[in-house]
Amino acid sequence: MTSAAPHQRLRDDLLRPLLETSWRFYLLVGVLGVFVLAGLVAWATQMWFGFGISGIRWPVYWGFFVTNFVFWIGISHAGTLISAILRLVNAGWRRPVTRCAEVITAFSLVIGAMFPLIHLGRPWLAFWLAPYPSERLLWPNFRSPLVWDFFAINTYLTGSVLFLFLPMIPDFAAVRDRSSGLRRRVYRVLALGWRGTPKQWHRLEAAMSIMAVAIVPVAVSVHTIVSFDFSMAPVPMWQSTIFGPYFVAGAIFSGIAGLIIAMAALRKFLHLEDYLHPVHFQNLGKLMLVMALLWGYFVFNERLVTYYGNGPSEMAVFWRTQRESFAPLYWTMVTCNFVLPLVILGITRFRTITGCVIASFGVVVGMWLERFLIIVPSLGHKYLPYSYGTYRPQPVEIIITVATFAAMCLLYVLFAKFVPIISIWEMRAVQHPSPALIPPATAEHPLGETHA
Amino acid sequence: MAVDLDSCTGCGACVTACHAENNISTVGAEQAAIGRAKHWIRVERYWEGDFPDVRLKFRPVMCQQCDAAPCEPVCPTYASHHTEEGLNAQVYNRCIGTRYCANACPYNVRFFDFFNPSWDKPLHLQLNPDVSLREVGVMEKCTFCVQRIKSAKTQAQAEDRELKDGEIQPACVQSCPPKALVFGDLNDPESQVSRLSRSTRGSTLLEDIGTRPKVNYLARQTQL
Amino acid sequence: MDRRSFIKLTAVTGASATLANCGNPENQLIRFVPDDDLVPGVAVWKPSVCPLCSAGCGLSVRVMEADVETVRGGQAGVVRMGVAKKLEGNPLHPVNQGALCARGQAALQVTFHPDRITQPLKRSGSRGDGRYEAITWDAALAELTSKLDALAAAGNQRALTFLSRRVGSQRQALVEEFLARFGAPPQVTFELFGDDVLRRANALSFGREQVPTVDLARARYVVSFGADFLGTWNSPVAQGAAYGVMRQGRPGLRGAFVQVESRMSQTGANADEWVPVTPGTEGVLALGLAQVIVSAKLRLASAAGRAGALIDGWSGGLVDFTPERVAAVTGVPAPRIERLARAFAGQTPSVAVIGGAPLAHTNGLFNALAVNALSALVGSVGQPGGLHFTPQPPPLSMSPGAAARATASPSIEKLAADLLTPGEAPVQLLMIDGANPVFTTPRAWKVRDAIGKVPYIVSFGHFLDETSILADLILPDHTFLESWVDAIPESGSLAGVLSMAPPAMRPLYQTRSTPDVLLEVGRALAMPLAPAFAWQTYDEMLKMAFASLPVTAADADAWTAAQTQGGWWGDFPASALVRPPTDMAPSPAASVVAYAEPQFDSAAEDYPFHFLPYPSSAFLDGSLAHLPWLQEMPDPLTSAMWSSWIEINPATAERLGIALGDMVDVASVQGTLRAPAVISPGIAPDIIAMPAGQGHQTYTRYASGRGENPIALLAPLTEASTGALAWAATRVRISRVGDPDGRLILFAGGMREEAEPRR
Ligand SMILES: Nc1nc2c(c(=O)[nH]1)N[C@H]1C(S)=C(S)[C@@H](COP(=O)(O)OP(=O)(O)OC[C@H]3O[C@@H](n4cnc5c(=O)[nH]c(N)nc54)[C@H](O)[C@@H]3O)O[C@H]1N2
Ligand SMILES: Nc1nc2c(c(=O)[nH]1)N[C@H]1C(S)=C(S)[C@@H](COP(=O)(O)OP(=O)(O)OC[C@H]3O[C@@H](n4cnc5c(=O)[nH]c(N)nc54)[C@H](O)[C@@H]3O)O[C@H]1N2
Ligand code: SF4
Ligand code: SF4
Ligand code: SF4
Ligand code: SF4
Ligand code: SF4
Ligand SMILES: [Mo]
Repeated sequence: MTSAAPHQRLRDDLLRPLLETSWRFYLLVGVLGVFVLAGLVAWATQMWFGFGISGIRWPVYWGFFVTNFVFWIGISHAGTLISAILRLVNAGWRRPVTRCAEVITAFSLVIGAMFPLIHLGRPWLAFWLAPYPSERLLWPNFRSPLVWDFFAINTYLTGSVLFLFLPMIPDFAAVRDRSSGLRRRVYRVLALGWRGTPKQWHRLEAAMSIMAVAIVPVAVSVHTIVSFDFSMAPVPMWQSTIFGPYFVAGAIFSGIAGLIIAMAALRKFLHLEDYLHPVHFQNLGKLMLVMALLWGYFVFNERLVTYYGNGPSEMAVFWRTQRESFAPLYWTMVTCNFVLPLVILGITRFRTITGCVIASFGVVVGMWLERFLIIVPSLGHKYLPYSYGTYRPQPVEIIITVATFAAMCLLYVLFAKFVPIISIWEMRAVQHPSPALIPPATAEHPLGETHA
Repeated sequence: MAVDLDSCTGCGACVTACHAENNISTVGAEQAAIGRAKHWIRVERYWEGDFPDVRLKFRPVMCQQCDAAPCEPVCPTYASHHTEEGLNAQVYNRCIGTRYCANACPYNVRFFDFFNPSWDKPLHLQLNPDVSLREVGVMEKCTFCVQRIKSAKTQAQAEDRELKDGEIQPACVQSCPPKALVFGDLNDPESQVSRLSRSTRGSTLLEDIGTRPKVNYLARQTQL
Repeated sequence: MDRRSFIKLTAVTGASATLANCGNPENQLIRFVPDDDLVPGVAVWKPSVCPLCSAGCGLSVRVMEADVETVRGGQAGVVRMGVAKKLEGNPLHPVNQGALCARGQAALQVTFHPDRITQPLKRSGSRGDGRYEAITWDAALAELTSKLDALAAAGNQRALTFLSRRVGSQRQALVEEFLARFGAPPQVTFELFGDDVLRRANALSFGREQVPTVDLARARYVVSFGADFLGTWNSPVAQGAAYGVMRQGRPGLRGAFVQVESRMSQTGANADEWVPVTPGTEGVLALGLAQVIVSAKLRLASAAGRAGALIDGWSGGLVDFTPERVAAVTGVPAPRIERLARAFAGQTPSVAVIGGAPLAHTNGLFNALAVNALSALVGSVGQPGGLHFTPQPPPLSMSPGAAARATASPSIEKLAADLLTPGEAPVQLLMIDGANPVFTTPRAWKVRDAIGKVPYIVSFGHFLDETSILADLILPDHTFLESWVDAIPESGSLAGVLSMAPPAMRPLYQTRSTPDVLLEVGRALAMPLAPAFAWQTYDEMLKMAFASLPVTAADADAWTAAQTQGGWWGDFPASALVRPPTDMAPSPAASVVAYAEPQFDSAAEDYPFHFLPYPSSAFLDGSLAHLPWLQEMPDPLTSAMWSSWIEINPATAERLGIALGDMVDVASVQGTLRAPAVISPGIAPDIIAMPAGQGHQTYTRYASGRGENPIALLAPLTEASTGALAWAATRVRISRVGDPDGRLILFAGGMREEAEPRR
């Protein structure tokens, strides 16, 4: 067997989704598009009639939108961070996983970053968050965590897009080379003149190394800063020093779950069984198991310390989540985020692709609830009992929330349609002029050989 | 500001006075039912004990004009900021409606405008031209009736004299029948409010949070 | 802008912003909003008089220019004029001393109310359906004049009846004069939460048929029997101001205060000691205190004078009112009675006050006389820190005999009964001035049916309410801000007071001042009034009233001064007063009064709960439910807004499975209403309380169709000796009928400051 045949198959398999389009694709895009459109209409309605059509109220001024914000920024930790770490530790099995992970980051960041806008009372003035020269000498308040968010998210988004884009260049070139007409012209632009010269490979290699190192602290800081939105405010159960790592851990946790779901979907719908193997799911599943334990530790820590501290206002929130009105949501969260992953991922027999996907769905639900339960019960129980209140989401918030999930799927589907979702060149490690960039396959990670 | 809880009767005159002075729109029953009523000053009531040995505590709560106001640093646009006099000012035009300040305020005295305010004509004629209206999506709160402070100062300036203690009366203070609310200059050690703030009955609300409020509460007393 | 200059600009702005920040102390990061940006407008302050209750507080009205859409001379357009912007207490006024209650603050909205009647209306639909057509003032007055002429021509002047609310004012005097000169009977007044029983008691005990002024500011120990003097009773702003002095206005001396009532009122919430008592037995408790004082020889029984002599068994040392026996009747433990009595006698000046529910039982007069006797026993009548009676100037009565008619006024209950008696209607023409008896009387009196039988009804009110919607002709009055206004406070000041003010602004609409309308109609009658009015307009009458004030020489120009300061106050020469200042001296002894158990309309077995309607903090008897500021003001005790509710003891609620907001049916013999429940620790287990005020069918967009009216449930029981409605004598049963349905709108979350204890 010559080495050309597998390469050919690899290329065919991975480029097929780009070159062939079935009616199912249009149906899927149509359905998701309707949801996204509904979300946009809902947002427009909210701006037109006023924020009052949402469910927030005195004193619970943050609800679904900020929950979604934190949730999606959390999901974004699936991609770039995991992929960068895997790159840094030279985990060979990551190769088919990195791109579909990184793209999650880019899209969920975009979606997450929309929520601060959606939730603004006057979104048309959002540009006041940005430092721009104005004759009134008005700058944003750099002491505000919201301004930190603005910078952190922008940095992470820029970094992630670069991190995603760089390794796509050789693949764009591959598409360019196999297409014609308009498509060829588009991909020619995207390929940025990639010819695959050693010099180009060298530069790509160098850029990826730098990016991989640089993006990790950025990713960690992003969710730490998101956690500052809460921990910097004197609100019962928000003012906590563990919120930084707690949020980052939760983010990676939910990110892995998102990634597993995305991979399973790709594997099934794009018939990538040959590329995404059970071992990928098992490895990610193990990682998720570790994160579940870490998450459990943080939650236990948070609760235990609060309970021992026994501050009256903290305890009001504590009991409200533990036993009272929010208890059903709280215990669902614990089940989804801890019990379920532990059982499914902890027992080797259950750690199948299906098992991993079930656990991941649990974690996505559980982590969304976690964000919600951090925000709402605390705001409703702040110090002066006369001002206690609660929150009931309204249709506009539910529609927009659902729409963002649809938007995520839609963006993902479209991406997979226009870009090889598995990095072709990384899979073709053998051809690669720089084996150092792609580690050789090992006994544990036999994937290198499969297609090499 | 000083609030004497021993003489406050819970009558609510301050609440309505503030509405009247500061163009606070009523939101109507449906919106009030879902927590959109705006009361820059509220009279909190707390029950103590059980029947028949039951007592009730009233406590008017308005913006405490904290020296270390948590609502200020979190505001991305400086809409919530500190003035040189030490007031916590709210610039409605500069507010973009993140509502972060309201979360950060431990006293829950900041109120969000969920809709554009509206007045059934001709109720709009009651509006105080010295106080700007707040459009949908901004945060509003007690300003210590900054327009009255300014007005009294302008008056004193025009008459080329110093402000007298007690000359500035925010609407709530002005209306309070038992004079449970006292307003004045805390920087002047001789003012009535300074004297009250040194009372052994005095304390500030949620002292341990470290907001250093400028409203002093004088404890209610009991005697039989 | 090219790239280079953009970058430069960015750098410059950035640097300057940073520098600006460095220069500022912490927390003062920006100074971009210069203080000078705030330029307050120029206001004119004018006096006025609060019309919302009988306290007669003085107002200062902030008037500023505004563009007003209005109709002038038949032409719609925009007029720039001075309009009222804010009401504040008149600092010079002796009653309210610069302050106002929440209701007074909201009085501004009466003038700017969107549902005000803006011009004369003539009924065009069937009676009560609210359809009216606009007519001119000329046509309206011609119609009214012809109706009056018809009565006069038939010699049936007595068939004119005038229905109003009880407020002391020259305006009332003018109405009275009109009726007297026309030959009609005196006006019929009705106040649901009126103090007629107390006035009668004070007449018997002290020779003054008047509600008292309590000198709280100088009192050391106050026992209040049901009087919500800090909330809704009597002159609440004056009492609130005095209370402030009593508590913290006297260095080193803080007055103590005990509240006796069965449902904690806003006033009770402020008491040092709150004493729940079996409804209707307040007088027994008062005599129990007196018994301890007398038997411990802290005071001589005779010290109570005439007030004591009225009480059965007083001279014998009240042997039937030993603490043990009183405890059995009132439910207040005997040791507590002893302790309260000793404190009351020891910490002088002390004073006992009664108001509200204790007067509204069938034995209300007894309760009042007993409390009066207790006050008299410690010598607090007419003394500093005790009970006083605000000097009342003589009403401006120009026609002979008008004053003598005052007591001949028929009750509304009698009026309704007469109208419902088959035969010729005794009333052919009914004039209604701001009264709404259809709403404020028990259903059993059938006032609506009765009024519906009157052939012709004229209303002067600003709004369509349940009563005025029956009118055939509506002649809308100016509001207090648009017209000359006056009040003669019956209470709230130790000196005499006449509140009076000229209009604070021009009228918004095609309305006319009712006193002027009466004067004009009086002139136009075919058979002239005898004697004819000497004044063309109401302000002329006021001027004459002030000119004839029996004031001392220094106050000679009372009229001019009154127009700028909002009235006149000072001492009347004793000789000129209607009633002597301290006529606490004996007068013909009334018969002795003994305790009679309060009667209730039904048996406790069928209707296990006492039903206690009470004047709401916001709306009083319901006359203020149309003001949105008051609808949205959280109730002091429950924090409810825009709602009506029933209050129920937690133990009772638990027994009946009722939780906060649950819908509950409250049934009396007279009917049933459905309202959400509020669980309140401050109410006895056998009492269901409910604020009056809501439940309007017709009362502007803000009040119509909102909540329930507790008055509808009341039994037509009356106080035995005065005939006043015994509104606390109804019994009810309750049942839970459903989950919260959103009708109860609360502002507050937590009930208690400390988190509830947990297992
Ligand atoms: N159609 C029309 N458009 C016009 C004009 C016109 O005549 N017709 N006139 C033009 C002219 S001349 C002008 S000057 C502009 C005015 O227009 P703008 O510049 O928009 O001025 P303002 O309407 O006063 O709104 C700016 C607000 O920002 C807030 N603000 C200002 N400085 C600070 C600060 O330092 N800190 C904070 N926190 N808030 C601050 C203030 O509350 C102020 O009200 O409009 C221009 N646009
Ligand atoms: N209530 C209120 N007052 C304000 C402000 C506000 O926001 N509200 N803003 C303040 C501010 S920031 C400003 S800049 C001022 C602006 O106040 P003004 O300087 O009074 O500005 P305009 O109202 O635009 O009026 C300028 C006049 O110039 C005339 N005009 C137009 N073009 C020309 C021309 O080419 N030549 C000549 N000779 N005349 C011309 C116009 O017809 C108009 O009558 O207002 C200030 N006053
Ligand atoms: S007006 Fe004064 S007495 Fe009344 S509730 Fe307010 S602070 Fe208390
Ligand atoms: S009370 Fe709240 S709103 Fe007022 S200054 Fe303090 S933190 Fe800010
Ligand atoms: S809501 Fe307005 S005032 Fe509050 S933090 Fe946001 S921008 Fe600042
Ligand atoms: S000081 Fe002014 S703004 Fe603040 S509560 Fe009082 S009336 Fe309202
Ligand atoms: S007590 Fe009566 S008269 Fe005085 S302000 Fe209140 S409503 Fe008006
Ligand atoms: Mo300008």
